[in-house]
Amino acid sequence: MWPLISTRSAVGDALGGWPPPVLDPAGPYANPLATLSWVLFGGAGLVFLVVLAALWIALFGTAARKEKLGGTRAIWIGGVAFPVVVLSVLLVWGLSMTGSLTAPIRGDEMRVKVTGEMWWWRIAYLGADGGAVLHDANELHIPVGRPVVLELESADVIHNFWVPRLSGKLDMIPGRTNIMRIQADAPGVFGGQCAEYCGGPHALMGFVVVAHHSEDFARLMTARRANIRPPAPAHPDLARGAQLFGSAGCAACHRVAGTGANGAAGPDLSYVGSRQTLGAGILPNNRGTLMGWIGNSQAIKPGNRMPPYSMLSSDDLRALAVYLEAQR
Amino acid sequence: MNPEKGLDPAVYERLPRPGERPEGELDELNRIWAAPTGIAKLTAVNNNYVGVWYVATAFLFFILAGVLALAMRAQLALPLQGILPQETYNQFFTMHGTIMMFLFAVPIMEALGVLLLPQMLAARDLPFPRLSAYAFWAYFVGGLCFFASLFFGLAPNGGWFMYPPLTSTTYSPGINADFWLLGIGFIEISAIAGAIEIIVGVLRTRAPGMSLREMPIFAWGMLVFAGMIVIAFPAVILGTLLLELERALNWPFFDPTRGGDPALWQHLFWFFGHPEVYIIFLPASALVSMMLPALARTRLVGHNLIVLAFLATGFISFGVWSHHMFATGMPALSVGFFSAASMAVSVPAGIQVFSWIATFACGKPVFNTPTLFVIGGLVTFVIGGLTGVMVALVPFDWQVHDTHFIVAHLHYVLIGGAVFPLFAVFYYWMGMTSRRALSERMGKWIFWLMFLGMQVIFLPMHLTGLMGMPRRVYTYMPGRDFEITNMISTIGAFIFATGVLLFVIELARNFRFTVEDDAGNVYKGGTLEWLPTGLYSTRSIPLVRSRYPLWDDPNICKDVEEGRYFLPNAPTGHRETLITSPIRATPEYIQIMPGPSLWPFLSAIFTAGFFVIMTVQAYGVAVFSGVLAILCVLRWMWDTDRPVAVEHVDIGAGIALPTYVTGSRTHGWWAMIILLIVIGMIFLMAVFSYLYLYGIPPEFWIKPADRRWLFPIVALYALAALLAWLGRHVLTRKRVSTWAPSALLLWGMVAAAAAFVIDFVTWRTTRITGETSGQGAIVHALLALQGCLVAILALMGGFLAARTARALVTKPRNNTFDLITLFTLYLAGQGAASALLTRLVPGGL
Amino acid sequence: MNGAGCGSCHSAPGVWPEGEVGPSLDSFAQQTLIAGRLPNRADILADYVRNAPKYVPQSGMPAMPLTEEEARDVAAYLYTLGRR
Repeated sequence: MWPLISTRSAVGDALGGWPPPVLDPAGPYANPLATLSWVLFGGAGLVFLVVLAALWIALFGTAARKEKLGGTRAIWIGGVAFPVVVLSVLLVWGLSMTGSLTAPIRGDEMRVKVTGEMWWWRIAYLGADGGAVLHDANELHIPVGRPVVLELESADVIHNFWVPRLSGKLDMIPGRTNIMRIQADAPGVFGGQCAEYCGGPHALMGFVVVAHHSEDFARLMTARRANIRPPAPAHPDLARGAQLFGSAGCAACHRVAGTGANGAAGPDLSYVGSRQTLGAGILPNNRGTLMGWIGNSQAIKPGNRMPPYSMLSSDDLRALAVYLEAQR
Repeated sequence: MNPEKGLDPAVYERLPRPGERPEGELDELNRIWAAPTGIAKLTAVNNNYVGVWYVATAFLFFILAGVLALAMRAQLALPLQGILPQETYNQFFTMHGTIMMFLFAVPIMEALGVLLLPQMLAARDLPFPRLSAYAFWAYFVGGLCFFASLFFGLAPNGGWFMYPPLTSTTYSPGINADFWLLGIGFIEISAIAGAIEIIVGVLRTRAPGMSLREMPIFAWGMLVFAGMIVIAFPAVILGTLLLELERALNWPFFDPTRGGDPALWQHLFWFFGHPEVYIIFLPASALVSMMLPALARTRLVGHNLIVLAFLATGFISFGVWSHHMFATGMPALSVGFFSAASMAVSVPAGIQVFSWIATFACGKPVFNTPTLFVIGGLVTFVIGGLTGVMVALVPFDWQVHDTHFIVAHLHYVLIGGAVFPLFAVFYYWMGMTSRRALSERMGKWIFWLMFLGMQVIFLPMHLTGLMGMPRRVYTYMPGRDFEITNMISTIGAFIFATGVLLFVIELARNFRFTVEDDAGNVYKGGTLEWLPTGLYSTRSIPLVRSRYPLWDDPNICKDVEEGRYFLPNAPTGHRETLITSPIRATPEYIQIMPGPSLWPFLSAIFTAGFFVIMTVQAYGVAVFSGVLAILCVLRWMWDTDRPVAVEHVDIGAGIALPTYVTGSRTHGWWAMIILLIVIGMIFLMAVFSYLYLYGIPPEFWIKPADRRWLFPIVALYALAALLAWLGRHVLTRKRVSTWAPSALLLWGMVAAAAAFVIDFVTWRTTRITGETSGQGAIVHALLALQGCLVAILALMGGFLAARTARALVTKPRNNTFDLITLFTLYLAGQGAASALLTRLVPGGL
Repeated sequence: MNGAGCGSCHSAPGVWPEGEVGPSLDSFAQQTLIAGRLPNRADILADYVRNAPKYVPQSGMPAMPLTEEEARDVAAYLYTLGRR
């Protein structure tokens, strides 16, 4: 009844599963993890084959071979000596890797505070003094080749920030700040997902990390910090959309830089038009999906904190969508 | 004779006895042990009945949770399906995990202990049959009510480990989470009750001559299992208590805005949760070690090493809990320690696996169904163990934590380490409780469907996790390549389910419950459970000379059945079993066992009723049910501790044993000590929570209640302890009135109660309430714990007064008196410790 | 359809998330008119899904980012829904 439709999601590649992102690292905080994974898989496979061989011999082997396996000596070697040696080596490697992955970065670092909310991500780029200089949501921009320190917090329940191609994961626990480091070695789009069950549509809480060349990144940040926007294509509904954003109540929860809209309960929409996805990694970003989301986000992401706006007409929805598309 | 000096060698010559037993002796045994008929069967306490009901109920929960899993796999076969909408799926996965872990895995191990242990030890029953009946019925009623919450949409939906703040009232406003918390409550009671039974049973009711060397390996496994329950379960008991207090009364244990910490729950839960999985695995592996000698037709190789492996696993498993928290941001040093311990814990498992391989190598195995399940389990478990070592490495865990890789790992170890061995167990021991054995031909089909199905479900699931699919998601986006592996896993699920379905059909076809004319020793095991039995278990209790008595003495079955060993009769006219010493199993006394009784059954119904009705917030009715439960328990206790007309009996071979003993060698004393260890562990966990919450920024902590009140509090508790001890001492004196000892103990209770009241009232007069802060919450939680004990003490006091009035408090020593004294001493100690902790730590404020 | 996000407003089998802003497409093949105005023909439909405002200016359905070929595939799929 359901044909397996092949899809083309705008970020299908970034959030896709093949090749497995854990084994397809894109930065120094993920590379060692992938190497470790391969060694572990290879080693485990080998050990498994050895155990299978021993079992086979025990069941079907020659009498001479069976006798070797039949005493406590085999138990000591196979069950104690061999594991202790291998495990010790692995442990030392693992612990030293843990240490190097969590080592503090020297020099001035880029810091971003990411706060998990039910069920989206609040992003605040921090300045040298630790205060927020730029706000955003659901999409993180980083420069290539530079480590980025993420201060992970939570506004409500425990979430978990995981972008497998760039790093291992870390919980976002209310009441504390966890420090995580990521770095991309090449430009690209990297998908992530919340990895700690946070109730309701936890399955639909994804996000995107976009890595730019340093110059592009610097340009982007400067422009955004100065609130310089790319010129919006003229559209008859643009002004009406801006006006509706206030009158329909959107500003109560959402912020758009450079306007009077300063709501903090929901995601910052200053750059929503340029995002790869909507709804925290679950919808492609086009006028239709914008209208669909505003019209009835509960049908898309049940339980999310935004009520349906069923009182808006098609003209209103289109105007708002046009306005939001222009927020780049 | 000093029990641990061992049996007089002459005894070994005298048994088996020659000559016939008198007429009518067997009929008398049958009469005494006869099972009630009709509806009264529900009052049976004999382990032959309770054990089978217990196993059947646990198996039922396995099926129910499995159906939930099948629905979940159907939902995940394709992206974005609506078979199970979001909320339903969230309830399903929570219930699947909770039912499997709490209502199936641990109870079935206990159930098998109840069913098999007495037979393996040649005891007539477990030492506390009414307690196991109570534990079973509470589990049965409570478990089914808990499952029923699904039909009302009230099932918990926070995951089987229910992390706050998601499960606090703010984010889980309905009663779903309360169902989990209160529902788990009675499971905890059953588990603790079972643990007490098993420890005392394994250490004190073994057949004479069965020293620790000859003790079957399952008994060792269950001993460690029960010990682990005693140490681990209190953590989850306290955790669930704290979360329920937070939800019901708004005490902020886990609320960071008021000085609580969500991680506290994780520490408490996983301190229980990790040993829990070894609690499940150890008995299963012990059962494998029991079956393997028969299946491989040779003695178990590495018996002693396996025992050491049990002890090592039990011990080390308590040091690994934070490997479930590697992604929470713990300091590198802690993380390193837990990583090391988590790798270490795999070594004992490896010892067991290689011992099994060695046993196979030494023997000539037959490839029947139990052997297939054992081999399948071994292979599967090894894979699970290997992925376990992988995730013990912190950096790797940082990628796969909370993904489907972990789901694959945990199912590999649990299905390989527990479920497949269980199916082997069903086939192997079916001959003990069923008139017909299960079909071998069908068994092979069932095995291959289950084994292959399992691999098809969970092998690709490792890849699913590596591809980025997290746990506990009711769906996934299309175009992310998760479709293929998920579809394969779902197909595997249906293959596995077909195997299980065939097994259920097979049970319907061939399982015919019986005690007398069972199918017998189909697989030719060599241990004592294969002795011919009736409802009275063995006709006579054998003298054990080796680990495989049936192999080493071909006549033993006949001799036992003809009554040529110990206690072939019922000299006191009641149900009896032998209590022996813990190390060398030298007979010490006769335990008089209870027959069928209504009171454990009713107590269990009302206890379960109390918890379930409390959850639906009909508080009046719940209290009423609770009061009835207490009354039924008291009525049950009233029947206990009665002196017996016959004071000494001859059990055979010239050994005469007393029928009523008191003091620290009695099974009752041991049970109370174990219970006090459990209560002490709950208290210790509360102390840990106290110190942990203090470690949170101390701006939430203020000056405690006035320290000067410590003098009267501690003094009164000390007085209570003194009076209790004095009462017991006075009881031994000749010229004392009936009431004097009891009066002393009762006044001791009053002193303890007064101490508690002072502690409580002086805290109430401070600015701190339970709601104020983490400090307030944990202080009041400690007070609540002490208050519960004081309430129980009051009930004991009333009971003691009633017993004294009826002249049932025998001199010079009395078991009831002793046990109440022990409780009072403990209560005084805990009360003083609690008061000292809350007022002296922190010091400076 | 999933790639373009049609499901954010419409419900159709195999398309997520079964939005409720626009009409359901579950039996689209049986519909006589598109958007209550246009004859339901393949060529019109293929162009309509790409640029609805061209045909129905006040429509709540905006232009969707589909190539011509993708639009034809979408139309083909829609004609399988609810076919008698």
